[in-house]
Amino acid sequence: MTVIRIDGEPVHPASGDIVKTEPGVYSVLVDGASYEVRVQEQQISIGEHRFLFEIDDPRQWKRSGGAAGAHGRASIVAPMPGKVVRVLVAIDDQVVAGQGIVVVEAMKMQNELKAPRAGRVTAILVAEHDGVNAGTVLAVIE
Amino acid sequence: MFRKILIANRGEIALRVIRALREMGIRSVAVYSDVDRASLHVRKADEAAHIGNYLNIDHIVEAARHHGVDAIHPGYGFLSENARFAQACEDAGFVFIGPSPRSIQLMGSKTEARRVARDGGAPVVPGTECLPGTEDLSDMPGFPVMLKAVAGGGGKGMRRVDRRQDLQSAFEAASSEALRAFGDGRIYVEKLIENARHIEIQVLGDKHGNMVHLGERECSVQRRHQKVIEESPSPLVARHPELRQRMGEAAIRAARAAGYFNAGTVEFLADNSGNFYFLEMNTRLQVEHPVTEMVTGLDLVRLQIEIAAGAQLPFRQDDIALRGAALECRIYAEDPANNFFPSPGKITQLAEPSGPGVRLDSGIYAGWTVPLDYDPMLAKLIVWADTREHAIERALRALGEYHVGGIQSNIPLFRAILNDPQFRAGDLHTGYLDQLLRNGIQFNPPASAELPAIAALVASRRNRTSEQPQSVSNEPSRWVTTGRADLLR
Repeated sequence: MTVIRIDGEPVHPASGDIVKTEPGVYSVLVDGASYEVRVQEQQISIGEHRFLFEIDDPRQWKRSGGAAGAHGRASIVAPMPGKVVRVLVAIDDQVVAGQGIVVVEAMKMQNELKAPRAGRVTAILVAEHDGVNAGTVLAVIE
Repeated sequence: MFRKILIANRGEIALRVIRALREMGIRSVAVYSDVDRASLHVRKADEAAHIGNYLNIDHIVEAARHHGVDAIHPGYGFLSENARFAQACEDAGFVFIGPSPRSIQLMGSKTEARRVARDGGAPVVPGTECLPGTEDLSDMPGFPVMLKAVAGGGGKGMRRVDRRQDLQSAFEAASSEALRAFGDGRIYVEKLIENARHIEIQVLGDKHGNMVHLGERECSVQRRHQKVIEESPSPLVARHPELRQRMGEAAIRAARAAGYFNAGTVEFLADNSGNFYFLEMNTRLQVEHPVTEMVTGLDLVRLQIEIAAGAQLPFRQDDIALRGAALECRIYAEDPANNFFPSPGKITQLAEPSGPGVRLDSGIYAGWTVPLDYDPMLAKLIVWADTREHAIERALRALGEYHVGGIQSNIPLFRAILNDPQFRAGDLHTGYLDQLLRNGIQFNPPASAELPAIAALVASRRNRTSEQPQSVSNEPSRWVTTGRADLLR
């Protein structure tokens, strides 16, 4: 049985009239109300509201979407390509949630990547002036 | 009048100039860097030249020669406030659409500009003229202070310092940032005026000694010293109507002292009692010039070109009348829900707002990849209405029509600001937005109950027609890349 999850919760789809109007754009009519819905990878936008969707489909080899799970440790990951301008912590430092860990420059902006939670710095995987790609793990906190 | 003009810039401002040129029957020449071959300004110009880098004066002058232009428009940023560039244009026989190299030089040094403005009779913020290093603190005003780049602009090389022990590290950070941004690491100090508003005056002068001001713009909504929303009239000036004339006259005095002609902007800090202090003068067209265009009905780019060609100002101060209220939202490729991290990449979907009172100065199109190499500004949404309140409602309506897919944008930030009671009341200061962000903004507001079921309906339809969430772009999506990196760990 196919289960549709919206923001992680199973949701029963509304019944209504749905028309694809442009690539990734749907017009939905439900009980006389009109919605413009946009789909981008695993994200659905309705007006200013955004939802992440997943589909558990037994016919498919694996579940779509939701690749990242919970970890026993927290990694500081570069969300986009850039250059490391400063490393603000050292190995074994105790850090608090929200503390700056690494400063990455991209698009002429310096951005401080912060600790998602408190812990001890167990790995620093980049040095100043290193180029990084989206997804590069910069540091690990346990 | 000119027959052909080269635009030494990119993005929405290059488009803005191309549009004015087309209306005037003047041919446009775009220039482009390696990554900008497919950019909108290249598509829309009459001619285009590859220059590699927007800061390469020799290549730009060579392109101007090769294309046989009469004049060069610098836009904003890049070489627009570079006296050497203005001089190189003139030396090569091209009219530089802006002030004289001498005026640029005077106002380009922020410390020199303070002197000129003060000598011209404009009030300036207390501070030291120059800070060579933090060992020399004799002239320092009391804390808190602002460190600023002598060659500064755009918030680069600026730091707030509250305590003396933070001065050294703040100085080093500001200086290195300034060195990278402007090739000049000199820093000066100003007393920090707490809860100040940023209000600026648009001036316009011809080469015959005539000068007018076109009212004010309030740009107090800032993040990291970068303007986010600009509006005219200023809510403060609405409360103190005499301020417009006083600031306007001070601005004209400062500009005249620098022998200024063409469009320029004199920036002030103002407090709620109506005191104001000269900050700096921008010797170019501003990003936020459309706000003034909307309330004055004037075309500043056309006027710039006419002035550069030697025309007299076609109006006097008494002829300038401001009507209604305008505000501008700077749309950036950045994610407000994720610490405003830049979000370059391919724009896979684009729905742009239109309708009454809406102007969109945009440099993007669906299918274009936002490069990593430049400021992440995508477009400016400008709205006009008869009152400020209606302009805010109109801006919210227009933002609702706006969708940039494939990358993150700061559109949700504007919803939050425009709905904020303090913004609505016009109680602004330059720390306003930082405060709002510190208090926490809900970027994904609670949805009404039926929306998840609507989303599920669309999800099921996509699943059924095996319209798998195929990545429209050729590049791997960030979700996928990050997910894979996670799995490998």
